[in-house]
Amino acid sequence: MIQSVVFQLSRLRLGSCIVPSPQVRCKGYLSRPRLRNPYWNLRKERTNTEDFVTAENQHFVNELVYDKYGTPALIKSIQAHANKFIQTYDPEDGIRPWSPHTRRCGVIARKIGQYPLWLKNGKKVRTTLLQIADNHVIKYMPHEECRPQKNLSRVHNSNQYGCLLVGAESTNPSMLTKEYCGIFRDAGVVPKKNIMRFMVSPDGALAPGTPLNISRFRVGEYVDVRGKTVDHGFQGVVKRHGYKGMPASHGVTKTHRRPGNIGGGGEKGRVWPGTKMPGHMGNRWRVLKGLRIWRTNAKYNVMWVQGSSVPGPTGGLVYIYDTILPLRKLKQAPPFPTFCGEVDTTFEDIWYEQMHKFKDETIIYKCD
Amino acid sequence: MTMSATKLHKISWCALRQLQQYRTKANFSAGSASIASRNELFTQEQRRQREAIGRIDKIEVRYLGLPEDVTLVMNNQISTPFNCAQHLSEGHCRRSALALIDGSVPWDMHRPLQESCTLQLLNFNISEPHVVNKAFWRTCSFMLGAALTRVFKAEAKLQLHSFPGPNIKSGSFVHDIVLETQSWQPTKSEMRAISAEMIKLAAQDLRIERLDVQQELAQEMFKDSKYKSEQLPSIAQQSNGRVTLYRLGDHIDISRGPMVASTHFLGKCTVGAAHKVADEGPAGAFYRIQGVALPCGFKLNHVAYGFLEERSQKLNPARLPHEPFEEHQQMQLS
Repeated sequence: MIQSVVFQLSRLRLGSCIVPSPQVRCKGYLSRPRLRNPYWNLRKERTNTEDFVTAENQHFVNELVYDKYGTPALIKSIQAHANKFIQTYDPEDGIRPWSPHTRRCGVIARKIGQYPLWLKNGKKVRTTLLQIADNHVIKYMPHEECRPQKNLSRVHNSNQYGCLLVGAESTNPSMLTKEYCGIFRDAGVVPKKNIMRFMVSPDGALAPGTPLNISRFRVGEYVDVRGKTVDHGFQGVVKRHGYKGMPASHGVTKTHRRPGNIGGGGEKGRVWPGTKMPGHMGNRWRVLKGLRIWRTNAKYNVMWVQGSSVPGPTGGLVYIYDTILPLRKLKQAPPFPTFCGEVDTTFEDIWYEQMHKFKDETIIYKCD
Repeated sequence: MTMSATKLHKISWCALRQLQQYRTKANFSAGSASIASRNELFTQEQRRQREAIGRIDKIEVRYLGLPEDVTLVMNNQISTPFNCAQHLSEGHCRRSALALIDGSVPWDMHRPLQESCTLQLLNFNISEPHVVNKAFWRTCSFMLGAALTRVFKAEAKLQLHSFPGPNIKSGSFVHDIVLETQSWQPTKSEMRAISAEMIKLAAQDLRIERLDVQQELAQEMFKDSKYKSEQLPSIAQQSNGRVTLYRLGDHIDISRGPMVASTHFLGKCTVGAAHKVADEGPAGAFYRIQGVALPCGFKLNHVAYGFLEERSQKLNPARLPHEPFEEHQQMQLS
């Protein structure tokens, strides 16, 4: 019985989640996820049937794909396609007028690591590195198209936001379904592994195929980062809710990490809904708000954001937005709708003014 | 028309099935009277040729191939390569698209054998599939004609002109038609409807029958079709006054070369484009319908198949219907 349980657990495709040492569950099998996909859900990857195409023909088909989308190349250290036909943002269109109420497009990035940076006064600042992963705008949908017709609230919705569909990380379209590739057909963009929608003001609409780079973010500004938290699996109450537990010794019997009392008595003598108990921890979408950008690198499209608590594991996908926190919101116009100037070819990092650059002289503390 | 007792139980179950196929497929729309009479003449001629055999001789057919080389004793001018496959297995019947006689002559699966020979059954997975590929492409053109007849309404006054010899490297199979309009711009849904009709024909698993007839009978059969009547003399001239006809359901057409055994060999099919070639008369025009197809059992990802579809939309350089046939005779016979 235990053998079969361990066998079941080992057969799970666990991905990035951490498996605790094999726990014995009474059922002996895991519940299947009960999903109800929305009506617009498309299957992304096609069943990988063997095509029996000769090697020569496969090479030819690849050449045609490269002709259409561009040769595969490492662009800013990410596997992408050097598509010379993708239009960059047209500078003739000009920078559009920005007001504090307008909403800009976000980006899709990967969390690639964490290390500390130092301020000029010697203070250590923990930072997380986020790399914008080959983003291209796929489609813009105006407000009427992207909102359901049903009016959910009686209050007139003054936020008439449109929706920008952005894709990250190009893949070989042969591995994807035709329906999913249809999303990218009109954009002229090579199909992407991940897509995300960003609600923007109509002014912030971008043309399909526009690349999104780090230059649209400026050092010193704040961002919100949304990610899926690390999956800890089934966790006890000490790790999950930070309960203190009980002493390890001094006569404590069989109760070291248990929750203890879960309710009172009296008239409402029952366990209240919402009582913190052991359960599944992690693998949830969380937004971390108001993270300052300390440094950016245009060569690799990387930004260093404040803190080491960006949701998700290293290598995980995150979505970056301009912050909505009122005191940290943008006060001056950012590159709106997106950066359209000359990209700095020297590719020097842009540091926050108080940041200590590693190439500077060592910080010396003066004796008091 | 009487049939002796011996001949009665020599009519195979398959022949009866063919008759049934024809009867159930007759759709009674305008112009079907000519189709019905054409089919009736075809069936009568089939029956007449079968009865004209007289004494049945035996031939030795040496089958070469999997699972082992065997010698089969078959009936001369009655037995077909399909009957030989029936002696081997159901898999052979299902998979064999074309037969190869004496190692060099491509032969329809349902065409009676004329003499003792060696027989090879060809499918699409052999190492040198050029002959069967060409037969497949030719069959696709033929099926396209049948699909177009079914799909167009009577108001369009569709007339099938012909289809040129198969050229797989051109990227598409072709059927030339004449419509009573000079400004037909096919929409995507119309193209999809024609492709769907091709797939329906494939799903019906219709047997493709061959018949060699005299020119007079062919003229009689195609008297309603202006273009076929014009073509028949030159076609008959090339082959000693005989014309080869093929039937698929209730659609009959003239073609030289071998076709595959049945419509079920059609797998994925897309009718990609309809190019206007030239005006015809005061109100009509020639159109070239092009498509691309894969045999059944071949899976291809949508990206590669998309490139094939794109290629098939380019105008096929085969001889155009309004150009004189004699100029291109040499090219076609090569």
